[in-house]
Amino acid sequence: MNIFVAAFGFGLVSMSVIAIAAVGFTMQFGITNMINLAYGEVMISAAYLAYYMNKAGISIWIGMVAGALFGAVFSFLLNRFIYAPFMRKGTANLGMVIVSLAVSLMIANLLLPIVGYYSVSYQEDAGRLIRIGSIVLTRDQIIVIGIAVVLMLGIHALLTYTRLGKAMRATAANPTLARNCGIPTQRVIDSVWLITGALCGLAGVVAALNADSFAIANGSAFLITILAAAVLGGAGQPYGAMIGAVLIGLITELSAAAWSPEYKEVVAFAILVLVMVLRPQGLLAKRGALAAAG
Amino acid sequence: MRGFERYKFVAALGAMVVLAACGGGGSTGGSGLGSGALLVGVIAPFTGADAALGPAYYAACLAAAPSINNNGGVGGRQVSCQKFDSRGEPADGVPAANAMIAGNSNLMAVVGCTSDEAAAVAPIIDRAHIPMFCMTGQTEFNKTTLKYFHRLVPADIYDAYAMVGSALYGPGHAPYKKAALVFGNDIGSQAFVTPATNAFTKLGGTIAINQPINLAPGTSYRTEVATMLATHPDVILTEALGAAGTYLKEVKTQNGGQMIPFIGTSATIDPTWFKQVSDAIGVNDLVKYYAGVDLGYSFSGPAYDEFITNLNAAASTFADAPKYKQRGSTLHLYDGIIMTALAMNATNSADPTIYNAKIKEIANGTSGATVVTTYKDGVAAIKAGKSIQFVGAGGLNSFDAYNNSVSGYIWVTYDNQGNEVKAGQMTPEQTATIAQAGGI
Repeated sequence: MNIFVAAFGFGLVSMSVIAIAAVGFTMQFGITNMINLAYGEVMISAAYLAYYMNKAGISIWIGMVAGALFGAVFSFLLNRFIYAPFMRKGTANLGMVIVSLAVSLMIANLLLPIVGYYSVSYQEDAGRLIRIGSIVLTRDQIIVIGIAVVLMLGIHALLTYTRLGKAMRATAANPTLARNCGIPTQRVIDSVWLITGALCGLAGVVAALNADSFAIANGSAFLITILAAAVLGGAGQPYGAMIGAVLIGLITELSAAAWSPEYKEVVAFAILVLVMVLRPQGLLAKRGALAAAG
Repeated sequence: MRGFERYKFVAALGAMVVLAACGGGGSTGGSGLGSGALLVGVIAPFTGADAALGPAYYAACLAAAPSINNNGGVGGRQVSCQKFDSRGEPADGVPAANAMIAGNSNLMAVVGCTSDEAAAVAPIIDRAHIPMFCMTGQTEFNKTTLKYFHRLVPADIYDAYAMVGSALYGPGHAPYKKAALVFGNDIGSQAFVTPATNAFTKLGGTIAINQPINLAPGTSYRTEVATMLATHPDVILTEALGAAGTYLKEVKTQNGGQMIPFIGTSATIDPTWFKQVSDAIGVNDLVKYYAGVDLGYSFSGPAYDEFITNLNAAASTFADAPKYKQRGSTLHLYDGIIMTALAMNATNSADPTIYNAKIKEIANGTSGATVVTTYKDGVAAIKAGKSIQFVGAGGLNSFDAYNNSVSGYIWVTYDNQGNEVKAGQMTPEQTATIAQAGGI
């Protein structure tokens, strides 16, 4: 087995998981101008919902759908009842970041006594190993890659071909102008929170399934990787987040194969820093679907 | 002041001085113990990657407090427990330690301080003159100069030697020849690697791979496991990684559903670790392929009986407390708190600069000391004017000049319910051979 080819295969799985999460995160920012640091905690909340369903004998794939629905509703409510009132009062962007950080801590600490501090696993048979040359993946990992591909194509179609997608892009570019042109921006923003929340919830379950074993602390850990992918690709740019996910996912696995695995995230983040130095706006700024945000 | 009144004043002053001097004797009810509640600070990770550690130590305190409080307290003073979250990071541990000390003038002892934060917080606690019982295996504390530091568990090197002993001489298998070392990339975890490598290779084994891994939550270990499996080890030597379930499940998946034997440190004797790993790879594979090392506890006797009664009762405060009935660190920290309370009684002092040294004396015993196994018996013996030696739920302690207490190792496994099962014991000859090969 060639370890580099194998690592490339593992990288495909990692990038799929990161892409689902990072695209949702960056769309939230690109369209609503909200850096939602509670994103990781919503992910882990959805992961736990799926865990308890799975524990009750329900398939993890149904749990994944439930996680997506939960993420959609939870994110929508978070915006409606917490973020939106602050924004209406004119809270500055930095203030909104602090609000989302506070929400993140509240969710984590409210969740802790319910789910406990220990790691748990889904009771899911990952299926037989499928070998393609040196690439060895389980059935579940291939399904995760498939889900990511379908979702990325779906996001592309949404933003490119639908009225809602065009309204989202208009709202991202200039919300006042969009409103004056008759676009119901509030409804668009509600839709954004529902769609990105669903991606967030789905990503939580996928990430937990991918990790084999997860705990409450994974919420904040997810966020760091998501932020890295989003920033690398160009904050607010869905296609940028996809490219960021590909780079972060592949680099972490390939560097683990090439050097000591203890440095795999160091290598990934060093490349992030390098890109930020050379191209502070990110790789795809002003070229993606939500170009004006860049 | 007239002559007679002056005489009365001087006489009263003299009487007060005499009474105060008498107060330094053996009485437990004297004013030297002060008044008001006493606090045991539990400084440990309660959140973060090592969040499973703190609850084991908190459970120890919750069990120890009623042992003391139900038997008159410390000179009538009631003991309570408070958590201080280090998050397993020196950066968070230092402010937590400072806040603990600054905000609580009634601290009688501190327990916890794991390898994650001990190097940063132990000096702070020492400067405050508070006796501490730390759960760190770091070598730097083998000859520490911190007077208030106590360690009731051996340094990590001894854990490493016991694991090598299990690999070479353990029951139920031929000696393993090729080992993979899978430890976290943090300082505490890496303390196992050099002694294990030295001992295993000098006794004829080969290290197939030494894999320091990133313990950050959410990390997947697919490439690491593929690299490790490519070296074809007979056995994995590992620790209580926060992500043990993730790593071991990946081993099973990539190895075609077949686990390979793995030997864990004494920290893997832990209910949360058992749950995590049994969830991930299945309880049958855990029972079949896991071997661990632990200190030789009897889990019986009056000290253990009182411990288990109070631990079960602590469920009303902390529901998971009873799960720690066989966790070595919980037993030891329970003993540490009881010994501290007994030291306060024996010195009739709430001043740690006075009772700190007495802790070692009570643990090691002196010639002719009365052996006691409970706080109640200890206080009674002290009141009777006897010197005491406390043998607690974790067994006999023997502090060296640096307040490190070391006792013997056993090899263990788990049963299906997660109970520890003794599988064998290292002989003194085996211990000596491995220690010599390891370089101690």
